[in-house]
Amino acid sequence: MAASVDFKTYVDQACRAADEFVNIYYETMDKRRRALTRLYLDKATLVWNGNAVSGQEELNKFFEMLPSSEFQVNVLDCQPVHEQATQGQTTVLVVTSGTVKFDGDKQRYFNQNFLLTAQATPTNTVWKIAGDCFRFQDWAS
Amino acid sequence: SQSTATGGFPPSHDDRVGSRPFPGSRRRKGRGPFRGKLYSEVTARGRARGRARNDDDDGDVAMAEAHEGPRGRYVPYAPRSGRLANINITVKREPGERGGGAGRDGGRRSWFKITIPYGKKYDKSWLLSSIQNLCSVPFTPVEFHYDHNRAQFYVEDATTASALKQVSRKITDRDNYKVGCSHPPQLCMSKRYDGSQKALDLKSLRVDPDLVAQSIDVVLNQRSSMGVVLRIIEDNIPELQSLNLGSNRLFRLDDLAELPLKAPALKVLDLSRNELKSERELDKVKGLKLEELWLDGNPLCDSFRDQSSYIRSVLHTWGVGQSPGTPRDPLRPRDPRDPQGPPGTPVYYSVYDSSDRQGLLDAYHDGACCSLSIPYGPHTPPRNSLNEYFKDSRNVKKLKDPTMRFKLLKHTRLNVVAFLNELPKTQHDVNSFVVDICAQTNTLLCFTVHGIFKEVDGKSRDSVRAFTRMFIAVPAGNSGLCIVNDELFVRGASPEELRKAFALPTPTPSSSPVPTLSAEQQEMLAAFAMQSGMNLEWSQKCLQDNDWDYGQAGQVFTQLKLEGKIPEVAFLK
Repeated sequence: MAASVDFKTYVDQACRAADEFVNIYYETMDKRRRALTRLYLDKATLVWNGNAVSGQEELNKFFEMLPSSEFQVNVLDCQPVHEQATQGQTTVLVVTSGTVKFDGDKQRYFNQNFLLTAQATPTNTVWKIAGDCFRFQDWAS
Repeated sequence: SQSTATGGFPPSHDDRVGSRPFPGSRRRKGRGPFRGKLYSEVTARGRARGRARNDDDDGDVAMAEAHEGPRGRYVPYAPRSGRLANINITVKREPGERGGGAGRDGGRRSWFKITIPYGKKYDKSWLLSSIQNLCSVPFTPVEFHYDHNRAQFYVEDATTASALKQVSRKITDRDNYKVGCSHPPQLCMSKRYDGSQKALDLKSLRVDPDLVAQSIDVVLNQRSSMGVVLRIIEDNIPELQSLNLGSNRLFRLDDLAELPLKAPALKVLDLSRNELKSERELDKVKGLKLEELWLDGNPLCDSFRDQSSYIRSVLHTWGVGQSPGTPRDPLRPRDPRDPQGPPGTPVYYSVYDSSDRQGLLDAYHDGACCSLSIPYGPHTPPRNSLNEYFKDSRNVKKLKDPTMRFKLLKHTRLNVVAFLNELPKTQHDVNSFVVDICAQTNTLLCFTVHGIFKEVDGKSRDSVRAFTRMFIAVPAGNSGLCIVNDELFVRGASPEELRKAFALPTPTPSSSPVPTLSAEQQEMLAAFAMQSGMNLEWSQKCLQDNDWDYGQAGQVFTQLKLEGKIPEVAFLK
């Protein structure tokens, strides 16, 4: 029983992180694109429609190239990632689905998922993106 | 530490890791052009070096002439000009008194001036301790000082001076260059070079019979030895494409940091069966544009037992990964699928598509969790059509009640598999699968599978669905994976997806006549493959050999595995 109580704590924490993160992430993506890479770890990898982008510099270049966007998230799910996979580093899996309209492109449906890791600062805990994977739902058509 | 960051190699470099040693053809020890030209060229260079050394001696009377005989010793791996790397010591007799030690016994004693050309570029304590380590007698340097670039000091007697002279050129400096070695390692290397393949095989160099016979210790985990090897490569075979450093007890790769400069064409690096403990070591050779990197038998693989073949097998059987590099057009998705189609049905999905998903128990971690959600979309059918899924749909954007949020997240292996077992029976179209590797460390593999399936029973029979499923897995025995997180999106298929779905025949596992198996046998096979970790082909062979007696096949498998009689190929998926 104790274990499941603990697990519930992790689940609550993951949900709070996901709620908060998703608002910040997509707002930054749409309105303050230049600040977006600050949400990523230095060594984070983004896999965007099958293309891998890694490291702050490459991420900056990539997001500069990406046309301006309007994201709408409809579905959000999250799970605490098992500690054996993360060597004890608190990590949350966040998955999203919704629509996006990039400048010059039609509206599309997308799926995206994130691995967020907890970075402790003296005052609070900050969630940073360790991994990010994005795909259009209709990517093949 | 950022254990979940995608450190080490970027996840995309799936083809850079492997578990097999060199293919046999690369192992042939040929005699390329390397052998023929090497010896004479080096000899000439060695002589040139010998002359240069004379120049260093300023015409002083050198002790060496009395003790060492003619300067016949040449230096075969002479560094290129302008990069003096060896440490030379010259000894000069100094008349007169000097320092506090002079005249202790009341008489005049001989002083010897020790000069180390370019000694100024070394740290004093390092230099002195290096000399002391090699010097056969203890010495006390008196009046250590620099004269231009030279380091100089005095010692008190001829024996010490003589011993110091012997040390000359045996010291390795910080450019990893040791001069004490002579030509045998080089002959040994030429013997191990295959010119036709541009491949140098230095596996187990320390126990090379030729070197052992000559009592030459080339220990590649020492900077000096690796320095010699790199220098020989640079000078003789800069076109090198394949380098085998297996079984050399390498525990760090600092000494290989210059390899990208010395062998810019290198494509294959075999570091198998060394003592590399951390993935981070690999950062030191990341300048190499490798196509293959072999790491099996290193401690760093232990956390992901046989990680390389594991990841390769995942990539191989599940479709493919993504390609590296910044996309030119971010709005144009990349299709990473092999045009040939996947090589076989992933074992996971052959169990998932069977009539009983209990077999998936072996695929999940005890503490695994799983959830499902239904994304909105233009093709999402009316709610009642996805009814089977909606009752479990977990959308924390809409669902704010913590109790419900908790309840809809299935936790622990039994609950997860029970939940999956309740979902409609399916048949997946393996040709539709696309896999993105999202993150990869030595304790985690995170990947997303996108694809199409259809339901094969119930009210929605033959309804085609699209799915996106995110897995996080940790290493398990037999180069398998063990799922700790599983998140499934299910939605209706688009007209385009419907058109393409199941258009191609489902591939069967390579060279195994699966279609002739009964449904029962196929299920048994899938379960056996899952439990044993062997691929379908070998699992089937094992079952057939035991007349499809599952228990007996299991016993035979366990016994053979204990005895180490099952080849590695049986576990390649």
